[in-house]
Amino acid sequence: MTPALEITGLSKTFGEKIAVDHVDLTVPQGSFYGLVGQNGAGKTTTLSMAVGLLRPDGGSARIFGADVWSDPSRALSMVGVLPDGLAMPERLTGREVLTYLGLLRGLPKAVVAERAEELLSVLELDVAEKTLVIEYSTGMRKKIGLATALLHAPRLLVLDEPFEAVDPVSAATIKTILRGFVAGGGSIVLSSHVMALVEQLCDHVGVIDGGRVAAAGTLEQVRGGRSLEDTFVGLVGSAGTGTKELSWLSR
Amino acid sequence: MAVTLTPAPAAATAVTAARTMAGMKLAVLRHSMSGQKAGLVATGGTLGLVLAGGTLFAAFQSGDLLAAAYAVWMLGWILGPVFSGGGDETLRPEYFTLLGLPPRRLAVGLLVGAFVGVAPAISLLALTGLAVSGVRRGPAAVLVALPATLLQLAVFVLLSRVAVAALGIALRSRVGAIGTGLVNGVILAALGQGWVFVIALGQAGGITPEASAVLRYLPSGWGLAAVEAAGAGNWGRAGLVLGATAVLVALLLATWAALLTRRVGAARASARSRRPMTASTASGAVVAKELRAWSRDLVRTHQLTFSVAYGVFFAAAPLVLGIDAMLPWAGPIFIVMAAAMTAGLYAVDGTALWLTLTVPGAADVRGRQRAWLLVVGPVAAALALACTAVTGGPWPMVLALTAALLGGGAGIVPLMSVYALVPGTDPHRRGGNPLRVSEDDGALTGMAYAVLALVALTGAPAAVAVALYGWAGVAVGVATGVLCWWGFGLLAQRRLHARGPELLQTMRTGKRPAAGPGSRGNGGGFDELPKRERIIVGVCMTIAAIPLFPQGVVPALIKINDGGTRSWFLALHLPEVFQWPVIAMMILLGLGAYGTGAWIFYRHRRR
Repeated sequence: MTPALEITGLSKTFGEKIAVDHVDLTVPQGSFYGLVGQNGAGKTTTLSMAVGLLRPDGGSARIFGADVWSDPSRALSMVGVLPDGLAMPERLTGREVLTYLGLLRGLPKAVVAERAEELLSVLELDVAEKTLVIEYSTGMRKKIGLATALLHAPRLLVLDEPFEAVDPVSAATIKTILRGFVAGGGSIVLSSHVMALVEQLCDHVGVIDGGRVAAAGTLEQVRGGRSLEDTFVGLVGSAGTGTKELSWLSR
Repeated sequence: MAVTLTPAPAAATAVTAARTMAGMKLAVLRHSMSGQKAGLVATGGTLGLVLAGGTLFAAFQSGDLLAAAYAVWMLGWILGPVFSGGGDETLRPEYFTLLGLPPRRLAVGLLVGAFVGVAPAISLLALTGLAVSGVRRGPAAVLVALPATLLQLAVFVLLSRVAVAALGIALRSRVGAIGTGLVNGVILAALGQGWVFVIALGQAGGITPEASAVLRYLPSGWGLAAVEAAGAGNWGRAGLVLGATAVLVALLLATWAALLTRRVGAARASARSRRPMTASTASGAVVAKELRAWSRDLVRTHQLTFSVAYGVFFAAAPLVLGIDAMLPWAGPIFIVMAAAMTAGLYAVDGTALWLTLTVPGAADVRGRQRAWLLVVGPVAAALALACTAVTGGPWPMVLALTAALLGGGAGIVPLMSVYALVPGTDPHRRGGNPLRVSEDDGALTGMAYAVLALVALTGAPAAVAVALYGWAGVAVGVATGVLCWWGFGLLAQRRLHARGPELLQTMRTGKRPAAGPGSRGNGGGFDELPKRERIIVGVCMTIAAIPLFPQGVVPALIKINDGGTRSWFLALHLPEVFQWPVIAMMILLGLGAYGTGAWIFYRHRRR
């Protein structure tokens, strides 16, 4: 079966810094894939290259077999993306953002209206009907971002830090939506540095460290008998780094 | 977590705070003084030195002239920041909010920081004109000149800060945005049409006693008034004026401190009821989004009202001299100014570009072009028709230019916006200064001028055609307008598709990507120049034509042929003795600009 997302030898260098160094990852169809790593490990860079937002220096990314860089219209129509920290059309309300994007993607007007209504109500954004996106809180921004990723009914979701700054109630809603999406045959890749969350949601894990894949496979294969956090610290933490204390903070 | 923090050095004295901020500013300036930035600062500095030299020259001439010069310096300090992205923002009040400094102490610290820089240094040099003026009047006047100089500089710097802070607050309401747009447009147009007032002044027989008094009552003239009073032996008056200046400085500082505490959050859009989107196509959706940005972003409202006010007032200013020949140009001038103000069409949206990239084939550029035309077109048409109706002509020229420039603007604005992208700050991350839409405001200002010149050029074929063939030129205007809109739009769309990820990366990092394996040289050489050099070259090459031809060669020809018209040819409005020198200077200026552009271009090519 064609993988939902297949990344082969992706590389990116910014100036002197090698951000991503020949990363290979395979996300099988129907899997819930967690990409973990420290800040600056290369997660965002890898995901950006995988969905056509950043041109790689080398390597390729295929979404259900369609190459993101040589066949973008087919590849990108099958993926929904939630990037981390990028702007939205800020002077629109949530509903207007969804209407705009739906029409941009060529969906019929009635379908757009129906889906926008449903997404806004499920994500509890319909209470802020008159609020412009620029006035949204960080959690609301994540939710409207997720709504834009889901709007065109993609078969693969690529989510960069979807739970960062999201309150527990909204997080529970998002988790339910994502689990339902996978149960319905969809595939998800999400990045996070919260190990507990990845253990709770994902069935596949990839560990990125210093721009390289340190480990990848099913959750059980990667963590073995230990917790994911212990495995992760063992993989990426350098030996002998004891936790240092700040002398002036304790009395 | 039971952590008891020792009382932090919250009691940092005003002196410490001020010294720290000055040090911080110096450090930032030192770090940013690399290559291109240093070149730009050097260019600006040289220009400033020339102006300061002119002011010192005025100081040797007469008190009235010096007072007028200082009034211009003051206007520059107040208005400069408005047109260069909110002025010097090296140290931002937001940086220090968590320190819990009292507002007044924060303002003092920021003020000291504000004195560190090139602009204050040059202004200080210009203000030594007070000492020059003092030397001409006697030792007592020199003595007064010293405190007067420092107080006057403080007045300039503080007026600038208060103006920016007040504008920032005004731009939070629609009425404020419209009001400041009108005022700024009128003032800038008045500066652009300064010659009108110089000539009006000349007709009135030099600086009248009333004007002379007014110049000294302006805050810019107080230092000079003190020096003159001391020179005349009137110590009481000198002391009074100096004291008043000190009080003014204190008042401005207090005002600024008060405004700083109100500087929170970004510009708010109005929360009126939202009309539903009625678009049903992809292109229609882009238009709907853009139109909403136009009506809801108060910065854009400000830009638009500014352009209208500028166009109308610039064209109407010569009415002071009884000349109505320029009035019909209000529409075309408005279009060119509106294009320049919207030069950062993609920059203002920041990283929202990613949405366009995830939908390949989205007709983003065409939608933005339509929205631009829908916003600028009706106003331009109304201005052109109304103003030309007042003067009764020249209809062919105005109609041809309106059509040509509208198309030119709708084409050049998106084209420049993607080809010479100046990365903008994401709207939700902008600081408390709503005028600041980019970290690279120098480049954005440069780009505005480049767009101004390029759009004006798109009107050239139509203007030539009307001059030669009359009404047939209107058809040429319509044709070139449509061609520019279609062709430049197509180029912009292609560029956006081909280089979209690079453009997004530029927005994300605020830097242009280094030429790597993914980027191809465009062969022209112009594209390989660093951005600032590219903008300088572009501006030189496009602006140079104005002094060289219409202000240099053409008036020279008219003079040789003894033609009667004076129109907007500066030289021909001056007294006879100045006419040839001014024409020569204009030609030299034009040639110099071409030369500078070519020199920078070839110097970089050779590397």
